[in-house]
Amino acid sequence: MSSTPLADAAVSRAPTETTTSSPAVVERPLVALVGPPNSGKSTLFNRLTGLRQKVANYPGVTVEKKTGRIRLDDGRELDVVDLPGVNGFSARTLDERVTRDVLEGREPGIRSPDAVILIVDVTRFEQQLMLCEPILEMGIPTQLVLNMSDELERRGGSIRPEALADELGLEVVHAAVRSGRGVDAIRRFLHGVADRGALTGRPCPAVSNVPPGVQLPMVDVFAARRRRVRELARKVAYAAAAPSEMQERLDAVLLHRVWGPLIFLGVVLLVFQAIFTWATPFMDGIEWLIATSGAWVAGHLPDSWVRDLLIDGVWGGVGSVLVFLPQILILFLFLGILEDSGYMARAAVIADRMMYRVGLQGRAFLPLLSGYACAVPAILAARTVEDERDRLATIFVTPFMTCSARLPVYALLIAAFVPDRRVLGPLMGTRAATLLGLYALGIVAAVVTAFFLRRTLLRGKSSTFMMELPSYRVPSLKSLGLRLLDRSKVFLKRAGRVILAMAVALWILAQVPRTDGHAPPIERSVLGYAGHVLEPAIRPLGFDWKIGVGLVSSLAAREVIVGTLGTIHGVQEADEGSLQLQAALKRDLDLGGAVALLVFFAFALQCMSTVAVMRRETGGWRWPALQFGYMLALAWGGAWLANWLI
Amino acid sequence: MASMRRLPTVETAPARSFENETELRLADIPLRQACELVRIDLPHDELEPLLERGVLPGCELCPVWRSPSGDPIVTVDGTLLALRREMAGCLCVRLRAGSGSPTAEGGLILPST
Repeated sequence: MSSTPLADAAVSRAPTETTTSSPAVVERPLVALVGPPNSGKSTLFNRLTGLRQKVANYPGVTVEKKTGRIRLDDGRELDVVDLPGVNGFSARTLDERVTRDVLEGREPGIRSPDAVILIVDVTRFEQQLMLCEPILEMGIPTQLVLNMSDELERRGGSIRPEALADELGLEVVHAAVRSGRGVDAIRRFLHGVADRGALTGRPCPAVSNVPPGVQLPMVDVFAARRRRVRELARKVAYAAAAPSEMQERLDAVLLHRVWGPLIFLGVVLLVFQAIFTWATPFMDGIEWLIATSGAWVAGHLPDSWVRDLLIDGVWGGVGSVLVFLPQILILFLFLGILEDSGYMARAAVIADRMMYRVGLQGRAFLPLLSGYACAVPAILAARTVEDERDRLATIFVTPFMTCSARLPVYALLIAAFVPDRRVLGPLMGTRAATLLGLYALGIVAAVVTAFFLRRTLLRGKSSTFMMELPSYRVPSLKSLGLRLLDRSKVFLKRAGRVILAMAVALWILAQVPRTDGHAPPIERSVLGYAGHVLEPAIRPLGFDWKIGVGLVSSLAAREVIVGTLGTIHGVQEADEGSLQLQAALKRDLDLGGAVALLVFFAFALQCMSTVAVMRRETGGWRWPALQFGYMLALAWGGAWLANWLI
Repeated sequence: MASMRRLPTVETAPARSFENETELRLADIPLRQACELVRIDLPHDELEPLLERGVLPGCELCPVWRSPSGDPIVTVDGTLLALRREMAGCLCVRLRAGSGSPTAEGGLILPST
């Protein structure tokens, strides 16, 4: 890189284009972690911050903001921001735009960085060093971390980091962050950052792929930069790692024409198995915990409506959220393992052509699969889909994936109405077949919806699908654990808050109007009244006012209908296994009505948490309203058809 | 040497084969055959993601796998990148002489043909 004056990059230089950062009060210095995806940024971030990290949102966009606090051994503290992995600094993708804005000091809520740690995968040295030039041109104190040096050496490659430091004029660390190598040097750099303190009033130059003022076509700028990097690699005696046989052998199987899809299917089925069976004992445990703790608290409070609100309303609401936590955690544990091991990228490639045909793309596989636990984190996961139209389409069809909350309703109705017979010999019974049919129904609805969506509202060629296939790695338990913690927090905060609020609201609606200080029977409560009002609209579907009450309450969250129906029929401890409740339902519904109700639940958007998350991710009410209306219409139509046919 | 420049065989023959070579698309290249990117036939605003991932004129591309649905997975100077076949149809390449040797950045061990 001798053709650009980068030797003095460690010191601020006069930039060509500036925006001034707001002058800061005494603050902690901020370090920004920049690098390509899969270079180990997050591992370094976790190592430096431990649990002292916070995940939020950059205002107005759906990119995750990961900030944390580093404590040095002399007690001083620094702030650090883990920027999204980027391949460049264009304005195209949200990730790159946010990274650019933070580095330039233009992101509200984050001061401009006082130092940058650029971390690259040294086994891909030449490609990833392309990021270096634009960063160095900013003139911010920078340290270059060549991560995965253990892998480079293991595979017979080498590099001279001191020569690189000389050529570039900055600190270079030969590191393997996972095993701790190089972290000391990084901490020494951080000491230096703390010594310099938070810089104030420093002009922030622009960072971009093409330096401002350069008139050459983009291809030429990149090609020239590539030549400079190649020359640099030669100067520092970079020897590439030999190809890894293990990686090739794994890909030969996992991308195989026949084995690839089979293994893919096997992985998907394993995920379902985990959600279904393995979570059950934990869910039972949580239910028991909620019930016994609620009873204990109830025993200690005086008899009053406050107690009822606390126990039945609030505590019951909390319980209904917590009970889904095991399924969510197990699913995200699996998906985390798949992601970190490198398999997820291959899965996206295998799924891509199929998804492309219906108007989505391979990256949508992860969010859609997540939707089988809960649509809320799934919609958040759709951020990995870079193209905005693809992302919207993915978000729109995610609620059709049969989420965990539908299962109690399905289980109740199937147990009540479907006789237990064998269909495929010992392999499958009618009940399992019905459940499978409902899952399939959701998928069909999703496919058809995506297909038409991409031809009407979200018309247009989707952007190019390119998937970098990272090396296969053994996932680190620590980062898995941290990610699990983070995702459960997201679920509890986002979904949990809304469900709890709605549960309390519903409880209140069922308790008023009060007569002589006692709760009315449910038919005469506001909730019951709503059911009666709804009845004419749902009679063609085979439903009566009692189901109507259940439907109204399930608009908050699907599984609530089980408890509500239990209350209406005076069944104590109503859950899907309750024979009393099943018998009561058989009096209310005939087979046609039961199937209609199942279809209704398969299609309708009965989850205010999903609506809330959709509003955040799409930046407005237009899409959630459209989706709610569409799914309601589909549900009503499908239920009517089912009732009419049976 | 001025005389060489006037020899028609030197001027015309390579020109013709050069034209044929640039009409080769990545989609036409058989597996394990290294080639060099000559040109990207895409509108300007779609170039950047490719450029950022190292798909530049002059880089070495080598198809190593085909996904179960037939889309190519290539190494770009050693890094695995999965593309759709429509995209591979937009990349004009030139065969690289001496394919089969390990490339910089850890290219795959290619069988000698």
